[in-house]
Amino acid sequence: MARAGHYCVLAFLMFSSTPAIAQENGDTLVTEITAAPKLKPVKNTFESIWLIDNQTVMVPVKGTFEMDFQHRFGTLKNGYNDFFGLFASSNIRLGFNYVPINNLNIGLGITKYKMTWDLNAKYLILPQTKNGGSPVSVAYYGNIGIDTRPSDNFVYESDRLTYFNQLIVARKFSEKLSAQVAPSISHTNFVEGYYSEPGKISQVRKHDHIAIALGGRYKLTEKMAVLVNYDQPITKHKSGNPHPNIAFGLEVSTSSHAFQFFAGNYYALSPQLNNMYNQYDYTDGQFLIGFNITRLWNY
Amino acid sequence: MKKGKLFGFTVTLMAAIVIMSFTAYQAAPKPWPVPDKNAKMTNPVKKDAESISTGKSLWSKHCASCHGKSGKGDGTKAAQLKTIVEDLTTTKMQAQSDGSLFYKISEGRDDMPSFKKKIPDQEELWSIVNYMRSLK
Repeated sequence: MARAGHYCVLAFLMFSSTPAIAQENGDTLVTEITAAPKLKPVKNTFESIWLIDNQTVMVPVKGTFEMDFQHRFGTLKNGYNDFFGLFASSNIRLGFNYVPINNLNIGLGITKYKMTWDLNAKYLILPQTKNGGSPVSVAYYGNIGIDTRPSDNFVYESDRLTYFNQLIVARKFSEKLSAQVAPSISHTNFVEGYYSEPGKISQVRKHDHIAIALGGRYKLTEKMAVLVNYDQPITKHKSGNPHPNIAFGLEVSTSSHAFQFFAGNYYALSPQLNNMYNQYDYTDGQFLIGFNITRLWNY
Repeated sequence: MKKGKLFGFTVTLMAAIVIMSFTAYQAAPKPWPVPDKNAKMTNPVKKDAESISTGKSLWSKHCASCHGKSGKGDGTKAAQLKTIVEDLTTTKMQAQSDGSLFYKISEGRDDMPSFKKKIPDQEELWSIVNYMRSLK
């Protein structure tokens, strides 16, 4: 009987990947299994896929369909004349996203500015875990932007295309405080040229632009949080260098919605166009009011 | 005098009809039978501070708008529902087993949405149950 027990334990040890300690105590066999603790992912680092003008590491649960409504109004500078920009010409984006498999969010959207369609994807590469494991969450976000204005705006059809790639590293420090850093590279197929010397055309700017975003959330209550976001351009161009973006706002989240209201300097609603071309200067008080509203449905 | 009383009664009756016509009718909750095997399920998540904190956070986000911040059925959306939202702090409601509460949160019925897709992590659903035990 005891021999049969030995064989069982031996077989278990051979085929088990978890460490095991066997100890014989008289006629009885005491087996102690030390299973590796299951790593639990940290939930709700952010409540929305958006942190004002950037993506967060959040990917909703599998089977979630999301609709985004985003607005950026005019600058506050005109005061009452256009009611602090709210009655000025606004930029609007409508977005649609779906999570077909765990940790992958795919989407498309259309933005009023330059009638830009975007196809995008985000993948949560590594979640932050509670008991050891990873101290941060890491996600990749990328998109292709397609300027769909009439053909007379372009020399080549490929001039319509812009691209954006971003790595997002975030940490939930406590139930209230989360922060993220997100380096990015934007690419445009089209840059303007000028005659630097007779017969020689030079580019006024580079095709690629590197930037870094910093952002965070501090929860005031279970449902309400303060948001901050900063985007710093890194690549220097010959002309038309973009201005950084400082934005701060409030977020209210419910079971199916997240509402973000803020003031910042980015207008384009396309991360690559914002990072490459932003001309709203915070040192000149050129802040815009904006909002992001997300609506989730689970299937 | 008799005429005055009749007039008063008529005015009261008309006022009642007008008020009732603007008042949404809410039905009393129907009995909600829970399969035996679900009702007898053991709660695998320890009722510790971490679980209760997780449950509280989820409650605020997903439940409080109907059930109220402290479970008394007085959430901001409660009046819009077809069914009266019950007070979860009563002895009768708290007498339900953990398994029954888990089943109802998970499956949903009528006005009560199912949360098994929105909150796929079962530990989190059990944490809501743990938090519900602290409602008073």
